[in-house]
Formats: sequence, C-alpha cells, structure tokens
Amino acid sequence: MKIAVCMKQVPAYSDGNMDEKTGLIIRAGLQSVVNVYDLSALETALQIKEKIGALVAVFTMGPMNAGQVILEAYACGADEGFLINDKAFGGADVLSTSYTLMQAINSTGTYDLILCGKQTTDGDTAQVSGALAKWMDIPHITGVAELLDIDNTKITIKSISEEKAIIEVIELPCLLAVERTIFTPRMPSLKLKMAGKKKTLSIISLAHLQDKGACHYGLSGSATRVKKIFPPVRTKMQPVVSMEGKEAAKYLKQILEQLDCTQKQEV
Amino acid sequence: MSSREILPMEEKYQEYLIDESKYSGYADSISFPKSEEDMIDIVMQMNQKNTGITIQGGKTGIVGGAVPKGGHIMNLSRMNACKDTRILEDGTALMTVEAGISLMDLNKEIIRIFKNNPMLWPPQPTEESATVGGIASTCARGINVFLYGDSRQYFDSVRLVLSDGTVRVIRRTDERALLDRVLGAEGIVGAFSELTLRLLPKPESIWGISFFFESKEDVGIFIEIINKKKVRAEDADIAAMEYLDKETIKLIESRKSVMTKIKEIPDVEPQFVCMIYFELQGREEGIESIAEQLMEIAMDCNCDPDKAWALSGEAEIEKMKAFRHAAAESVNLFIEEVRHNDKRITKLGTDMAISESDFKTLLAGYEDDLKTAALNSCVFGHIGENHLHVNILPKDFVQYQKGMELIKAWGKSVKEKGGKVVCEHGIGKLKKEIQADILSDEEISDLSEIKTELDAKKMWNRGNVL
Repeated sequence: MKIAVCMKQVPAYSDGNMDEKTGLIIRAGLQSVVNVYDLSALETALQIKEKIGALVAVFTMGPMNAGQVILEAYACGADEGFLINDKAFGGADVLSTSYTLMQAINSTGTYDLILCGKQTTDGDTAQVSGALAKWMDIPHITGVAELLDIDNTKITIKSISEEKAIIEVIELPCLLAVERTIFTPRMPSLKLKMAGKKKTLSIISLAHLQDKGACHYGLSGSATRVKKIFPPVRTKMQPVVSMEGKEAAKYLKQILEQLDCTQKQEV
Repeated sequence: MSSREILPMEEKYQEYLIDESKYSGYADSISFPKSEEDMIDIVMQMNQKNTGITIQGGKTGIVGGAVPKGGHIMNLSRMNACKDTRILEDGTALMTVEAGISLMDLNKEIIRIFKNNPMLWPPQPTEESATVGGIASTCARGINVFLYGDSRQYFDSVRLVLSDGTVRVIRRTDERALLDRVLGAEGIVGAFSELTLRLLPKPESIWGISFFFESKEDVGIFIEIINKKKVRAEDADIAAMEYLDKETIKLIESRKSVMTKIKEIPDVEPQFVCMIYFELQGREEGIESIAEQLMEIAMDCNCDPDKAWALSGEAEIEKMKAFRHAAAESVNLFIEEVRHNDKRITKLGTDMAISESDFKTLLAGYEDDLKTAALNSCVFGHIGENHLHVNILPKDFVQYQKGMELIKAWGKSVKEKGGKVVCEHGIGKLKKEIQADILSDEEISDLSEIKTELDAKKMWNRGNVL
C-alpha cells in the first residue's frame, strides 16, 4: 500500500501581517510549525503502516525552509518526502494549491490512499482536500474522526458531519481529510530524526509536472484574491458561577440591574 | 483609581493575600503604582506611619515572599514598560524594563525589538507570568542554568526605591558586590523600580531531547557518564538537563486534559521510570554532534533512542518546556485541591542542591526517606548540580507535618555536606517557618548588615528571610 500525506508549514502564532498588494501572509521572521491537523494525518498513515504495512510519502508545498516539515515527518517515521517548490507556485489559493498538489503527487506515482488534515491553521478554508480529490477524481471524505478498519482494497472510517456520525466503507483509492482527534500524533524520535538528516528530500518544481503551463499555478492560477487577513478577536474569560433556585435568581437579578437592562422594559 | 492611591483591603483584593505556595496572609491596604514616582509617593506615605510594605509582582513565588503579614501591599504588576534598549559592541544588548514586566511580555518585547539581531535573556524560570522584579529578588534561573549559570550576571544595573523615598542606582560596573547582594535579597532592602538586563545573542538553533529509562540503575549510570564526559561541541552546548520521575509524569498526565499546551503530547509509556530532558543550543551541526553523543551514551545505558523524543525549533520546543513547567503547575494544583479540606496545608517542596554528591545516591536517599515516612511525592529538577525539587504530596495535615520534618532533616543534612538549602525559590516566610536555620550565621550577618544600611526602619518585606 502507498499512502500520500499532504502537510503544510504554518506560522506558529497568529500575529503575522498581510502584504496589502497580494493579500498574502508575510511569513518572513515568523516562527513556523507543522499544521497540527496534518500531524494527525501523518499519524493516521503511520498507524496504517504499522498495522498492514505501507510506504508513507509526505508532500509539502512552500519555500525551501518548508523542507523542515519533511524532516519532522521523517523523524516520525515517514519513508519519502517531496518538497513542492517553485517560484511559479507562490501565492496559490485553494484552486491553484489543489491543482499543484495533484500534479505533484501524480508526478511521483499512484497512491492507494491520500491523507490530509481537515484544515490548516493559517488559511483555515478546509477546502483543499475536497478540491484535490476532485482533481484526482477519487472519493473524498472529510471530518474523519476514527479509523475502524483497513485492508489493501478498502477502508472503514467514522466521520463526523454537523449533526451525524457516519460509518463508511470506501474502496481504495480515496482521499480522507482527518480531524485532529483521530490520533494523538507521536513525538519525533531521536533515532529517526538523526537518520532523517541523511535521507533524500526530493524537490518537485514546475519542470517535473505534466502540466508545465506556469499560468495554471500560484497567483496566476488562482481564482480568488484575499482581501484581508486578521486574527480573530479573542473572547474574554468570564467567571462561571454555579447556584440553584432562588439564590441563582437573586444573583441574576443583581447582574441585570448592574447592566441596567431591566429598566424601562416592563410591558 | 489613582495609581498613588492607598486602597483599603476589600474582598476584591483577596487574591493579593496568597501566592503560588498557597501560604496566605493579611494586610491593611494595597496600591498599584504605575511609575517610580508613584512608588516613592506611596513609600513616603507609609514611612510617615511606619507601616511595613510587602512588594508584589506576579505572585508566582512558592515560598510566600510576596504574601503580606500585615501592613501595606505594593503591587508592581502595572509597572510593566520596556524603557530603553541598546546593542553593545560585544554583541550583547542592554534592555531597561520596569520591575513588574512579566517574563512572557519581556520575551515578546525582545522578539519585537531585536527582530534583526535576535537576543535572549538567559534567566527563564518556567513560570512565564513571573515578573522581572520577582526574578531579581530570588535570582530565579530556570532550566537553562546548566549553560548560563547564576542569573545575577544578567542584571547590569537596578534602580532601588528605599524606605526613605530616595532611589539608589546600583550599577554592575561601579558596585558589583552590592548589586549581587541586593539581587536575591528577597526585597528586604528596597523595591526595584527599574532593572537593566543584559541580553545575549540568541543561539542559531535549539533542540529538545527527552530520554526515557526503564530502570533507575540505568538512569544513575547515564547521569554519571554525562557528568564525567562533559558532552559538548565546539559551537553548541547542553543548556538544560532535567530529571522528571515517574510520579511527576503521572501527575502531569492526570491533569493533561485541562492543560492546553500539553494536551496533544502523547502519554509516556508505562514501563518508563523517568524522563531526562536535554535542551541543546548553538549551531545546527554542533547540536547534531551532541545529540549523537547523547544517543550513544543512552544506548549504552539501555535506553531506546527510537523512543526518545526529539524536537527542534523554538516553537516546537515550547511543547517540551510546557511539559516541564506542568510538573510544578501540577504540584500547585494538587496542593490547591488538598487545601479545600485543610487550609493549613501549603506547598512542601525542596530547592536544595549538593554539587558534590552522586545523583543516584542522593535520589535513592530521598526516596528511602519518603518510603519510610509513607509519604507520596514527585521529584523533578536540574541534574547539573543535583538541584532536585522534591515535592511532598500530603493527603492531610498529619502527612503535611511529617513532610515538614523530612524537609527539615534534609536541609540539615545538605547544610552539613556543604550544599545549598535554597537555590532559586528564596526563603520567604514559608521556608523560614519550616526551617529556621537555613542560612549560616555568616549569611545572616551579611543580610542584616545590608538591611540596616539600606532599610534602617525595617519597612520592606517584613517577615521574609530574616
């Protein structure tokens, strides 16, 4: 079995700025980490590898220092790593990113299973996995919360939609986008980390892809433009008070009086 | 509310009567100055009434040093500005901050200001809400003490508000000995208003490695070899070398679900009896060389390097730092829970170091005593100078008293062997109550002398240390 895992390097903290012209996050100077959802995708692949045997290949798209993602994946037990790196790929939106990923994955062979994290912590669109499955023309399940069974022809999973938990049996090949909670990602191992330093990190550039038309990638291949990026406003911690009956009613009345919203509201 | 206002103690200020040691006290009034001028004004008012002042920062201390026993509380948490910075020719930098700035905010400021020449301030106690003034008062050091040593050397000068309202500026270049005596004096001679910190260039790379052992015998041999071999590389060093025993790991894991930063760290496998955490700093090649040396020694000591965790990069290392910090935090939470049944119980942990002793023998001694006394505990701390924090986890007041006796006995023994009974937590009020004879006659005389010289009216931090 061959498994491809898509992983992304993201800013460690949400204090980045945006380039006003391009709408892109300015990543220079920001500390980077692997997107936490992708670590769960990698862990899923490694669990399958340990259960039935598999080759785990990791794909990441980004600047040269995004190669750190591959090194971390090696330290966890990934077998192969591909850094998708070319000037032409910069500034890609969902459409362009998923197209590039499809081209890159296909350039290295065929896979029985493609795993992605449900979303990234920077873009937060949760759309790339679906778009990638569409380009590859394979079934796509998102919100995968449990891996129930797998053999060389099919996989049984439990996914969570807004209201329902669904158990599905899907024939391979397919693409799954996993929840963070599917598995607790293992910590990188020292032995594998040291060994990983000596492993090959393959770079996939535009020249390696079947479609070499630069206009289909990066900013030029994108259908959307980001207008504004800003971290969400943090909500303030509020005290939690447990009371019962009259005591609670009295307390609530006091609060409402302080808010001054009970006055002039009587019918 | 004016920043010079003396506020009577009310219900809403109750949280200022206790610190992380869970030792509690009482006070008549409290103030929250925002500047050195405010501090002076408040001190003058107190001086006229001969009212004692307890200085407070982040209230993260674990010996009750910031807990008042009457009088006035001067809380400096609103004095948290960064005032000046400059890079020196030798590549280090100076940064002047107000005493109430927290370590977390200080680190953010350092990152922001020195974007192009990344710097660090070496004293990094694991509790990031600790203030710089508090760190100066106890000479807290954090886990990187193995590489950076005593935190005093990272204070270049201080502005000290004295009980008569004057300000004494003490610079390392002019009065090194005095500065070193004032630092670590637990606020008994005056209140720091501003401190100038010496920053060092940030290392290019950082790794965190955790080794796990199945037998205590193997751990002892591993530590012995590491201490003898002086593992290092030309351009990298071991910055931290920490020990966490099984009970500490179990305690952390029992609370993991409520600790966001460590929630996603996998459980340590049950066969392991302890974790040894290393932090390596320097150039990447040097770090790799040290990591390889450590891996070889660990393998010789029956440790599986495949199961050793290895993280690199500042953001990733945060996970391991959070795990290490969770040790102290979990103990604090445990004590907090026990206090629901009995408010007399406080934190009961050691801060002793005996460099000359053998780690294995020392640890075995602590464990035997705890077993004999039938007390639960967890042990973690710095391996370098055998500076272990043995935390007793009493179920009730009877066990608490038994624990106190044990700590007294250990302190006596450490003192006799020429070790340090207190390293970085301070003595405060709590340690003084547990063990009256922590300091030597010489140390008491030295502190009394400086106290008389700088605080003749004995207004500052009454009840601390002396």
